[in-house]
Amino acid sequence: MPLNRREFLFRGVGVATVSAMIPKFAVAGARFFEEYVSSANSGRVLVVVELAGGNDGLNTVVPYTDALYSGTYRKTIGVPASAALDLDGTLGLNPVMTGMKSLWDGGRLAVIEGVSYPSPNLSHFTSRDIWHTADPKLAERRGWLGRYADKALVGTGNPLSGCAISSSLPRTLLADNVVFPAFSNLAAYSYATDGSNPGDASNQVAAFVAQNSIEHEIANRSETIEDVSRDAASSSATLKQVAVGYTARATYPNNSLGQALKLCAEIIVGNLGTSILYVTYGGFDNHSAQKAPHDALLLGVSGAIKAFFDDLDGQGKSSSVLLMTWSEFGRRVQENGSLGTDHGTAGVHFVVGPSAVKGIYGPPPQLSKLDNNGNLPWQTDFRSYYGTILTDWLGVPDVASVLGAGYPNLGCVALR
Amino acid sequence: MSVRWDRAAAAHLARRAGFGGTPAEIDALLAMGLEAAVSSFVAYDTIENSALEADLIRLTTPAPPATTATYDLNTTSGIQKWFLHRMVFTRRPLEEKMTLLWNNHFTSGIAKVNDATLILKQNKTERSLAIDRFDDLVLAITKDPAMILWLDNRTNVKGRPNENYARELMELFTLGVDRYTQKDVSDLARALTGWTIAKPDAAPVSEYAFSFNAAAHDAGVKTILGQTGNWNADEAIGILLNATDARGSISGRFLAGKLWTWFVYHDPPDWAIAEIASVYVSSGHSVRAMLDHLFRMPEFYEPHSRQALVRSPVEYIVAPLRQLEAKTDLSTPVASLNPMGQSLFNPLDAKGWEGDLDWVNTGTVFARATYTNSLVTNRGATGTRIDVAALLAGKSLSTARDVVSALADRLGLADALPASQAVWEKYVDSKADGSRGYWTNTPAAVDQKVRGLLHLMLTSPDYHLC
Repeated sequence: MPLNRREFLFRGVGVATVSAMIPKFAVAGARFFEEYVSSANSGRVLVVVELAGGNDGLNTVVPYTDALYSGTYRKTIGVPASAALDLDGTLGLNPVMTGMKSLWDGGRLAVIEGVSYPSPNLSHFTSRDIWHTADPKLAERRGWLGRYADKALVGTGNPLSGCAISSSLPRTLLADNVVFPAFSNLAAYSYATDGSNPGDASNQVAAFVAQNSIEHEIANRSETIEDVSRDAASSSATLKQVAVGYTARATYPNNSLGQALKLCAEIIVGNLGTSILYVTYGGFDNHSAQKAPHDALLLGVSGAIKAFFDDLDGQGKSSSVLLMTWSEFGRRVQENGSLGTDHGTAGVHFVVGPSAVKGIYGPPPQLSKLDNNGNLPWQTDFRSYYGTILTDWLGVPDVASVLGAGYPNLGCVALR
Repeated sequence: MSVRWDRAAAAHLARRAGFGGTPAEIDALLAMGLEAAVSSFVAYDTIENSALEADLIRLTTPAPPATTATYDLNTTSGIQKWFLHRMVFTRRPLEEKMTLLWNNHFTSGIAKVNDATLILKQNKTERSLAIDRFDDLVLAITKDPAMILWLDNRTNVKGRPNENYARELMELFTLGVDRYTQKDVSDLARALTGWTIAKPDAAPVSEYAFSFNAAAHDAGVKTILGQTGNWNADEAIGILLNATDARGSISGRFLAGKLWTWFVYHDPPDWAIAEIASVYVSSGHSVRAMLDHLFRMPEFYEPHSRQALVRSPVEYIVAPLRQLEAKTDLSTPVASLNPMGQSLFNPLDAKGWEGDLDWVNTGTVFARATYTNSLVTNRGATGTRIDVAALLAGKSLSTARDVVSALADRLGLADALPASQAVWEKYVDSKADGSRGYWTNTPAAVDQKVRGLLHLMLTSPDYHLC
């Protein structure tokens, strides 16, 4: 039975009083960290990219040979057939996505079509929660990778077994016994102390850790804040070692996704034993005048992901990295009167990396079989998508232990 | 069951109905008794507040030869400062606390609206109707230019409906998710067609005002929540706010839940929601009546209701500025909002910030510490700063315990766990090499350890909670 995080802290250091534990905690943390790093080099890394707002799948991977697309549903904002970057003779990438096209040509891109769940919910917030928790009934509090972490990552003592490059922690990473750090700026990632009294800094940091190491008889909110605060202190100590020795081997686009993926590369190259990285890129809720902003977003996504793998190639790290995208839903098939699209259902997602098996998974969008609200029927259960990643990339032996049941494997991931 | 009205209860009310009190303010509330103390927050329109308004006129008017004001209301940071200034210096804390609630409920983001003047106008609308009849606020927001831009009702026209506002009006603003069908969304969008904004052609975006475009309005028959008629937007809002199910008013329960989650704790019990929703109905949808009831409920003062909320970044900025009677030009506070995860007036999406434990992650914990460190260690004569000597005036400071006790009282942490207090005393007694020394009341020790102690207290779980 693995120790949970708190048990690890209190039992692992073997002390009873708060005042006595600070230096020992620091020592114990360092020792566990060294052990973890030494075995981390073979570890696989999953990078999750959330496209927040509901990405328009039909203008991302375009059914450019379907007359209903150009002639009926996307007369104004659609991608012209002649411009689409062909994938398989029927589907093509949005023409701004040349980076993704070259990943496809290089055999590193899997396209997952028609992903959703039964009775899709058209609310951003409900659908997002369903995706985060992998539970359409919303009975699960923890995220799907949080539940994975509670089984697979707990007890490692590594404060950076996973993290979000974000100013908030996504619910996907919400766990009971693992705290995932979240940060967007490494330089500012430490406990500030009084600059006029540098000699007192270590007292201040020690007291900060101590006031966040108090045992409570019952679980409460204070305990949660303490766990996070302590994890902040230990992960910042670890991250101080990262910044040295990393030089990007590719030019990242100057958008927030590019900068976040660059930070992911920095952490991967730093060999910290990190196995989950999470990045959010927003702005996909294009209800009006969609074309220009949506193309700019797709260009950003495509360029950032291409640069990320170029960088990892240069660092000799790409074979240990798999990237997956998700978004809470696709858009309404019929463009609206504002040259935008309203909320829809099934969407298209990408798996990228040397271990992605090039191909298109699931049937192309069924434009002739829309539901009563004019939305696409869903074809691929999102839990099949998650389950495939859990099984074939993260090596989870029994996917039902995370997802509650087994789902058909998509076959889009194979270790190389 | 009745409320035990003691100093801790008064401090709890001040934290929740406002942003926390100074020791003198808590003493005054305690002396009033529960009824008068609650009224002193809720009946805020009777409180003289002209000094604040005069200050804000001065700070938002360029003083020649300067051509821009201290708070430039044409910029995001200018309106952020304006709003934070109100929260820090108002004599009507509940007015700002409620405006902050509506700011996050009927929210609009400047990234899309792209005009600070319109966002400020929305904020003023929310303040002016903050505790009046809920219907009036919903109607005013539906006509608000920033909202019409933010949720696309400008492009919602007959024959080509845009569902964005219609969906959020029901899901986020009045009823809650899944209390309606997709057909309700479509028909409500039709009822809202033609509710748009207009301005003279040459005028800037900031001059957009509500305008009804009859030619763009779909006057046909709609069915909304089971009621069929050729509804216009006014009537449709009435249908939403008067809708009932087996448990009574749907919007009443929705709003009661919102208030409970904002002022008391998360996951409200059904009985409390039902009780406050019944006040909503009996008062004709008065938010003031709901609050007046809520702050007198014994449940509000129960131990499990205390320290049950996480301070938002805005509250985490405002509370110490008030409690430490800081001087501030609000530059550092405004610059600290984004790293803490709350870019005021620029939420990520229409739902606003989730709040509570969502505020707490390793990055934001450090961002909070960075802000409060700058607040308590700024020894200069400008910017955001505190007067340590004034905070300690008249206090006995013979021992580390005296120091901890004086500052804990100042920050409303007198009830902090004994273990926390022990950590703080140990810090005050520590020498530069970390070894145990003993506190001595010297100017150097005060300058060093009192500032360090305040920073620790402000970054303790006890203070992140309220």
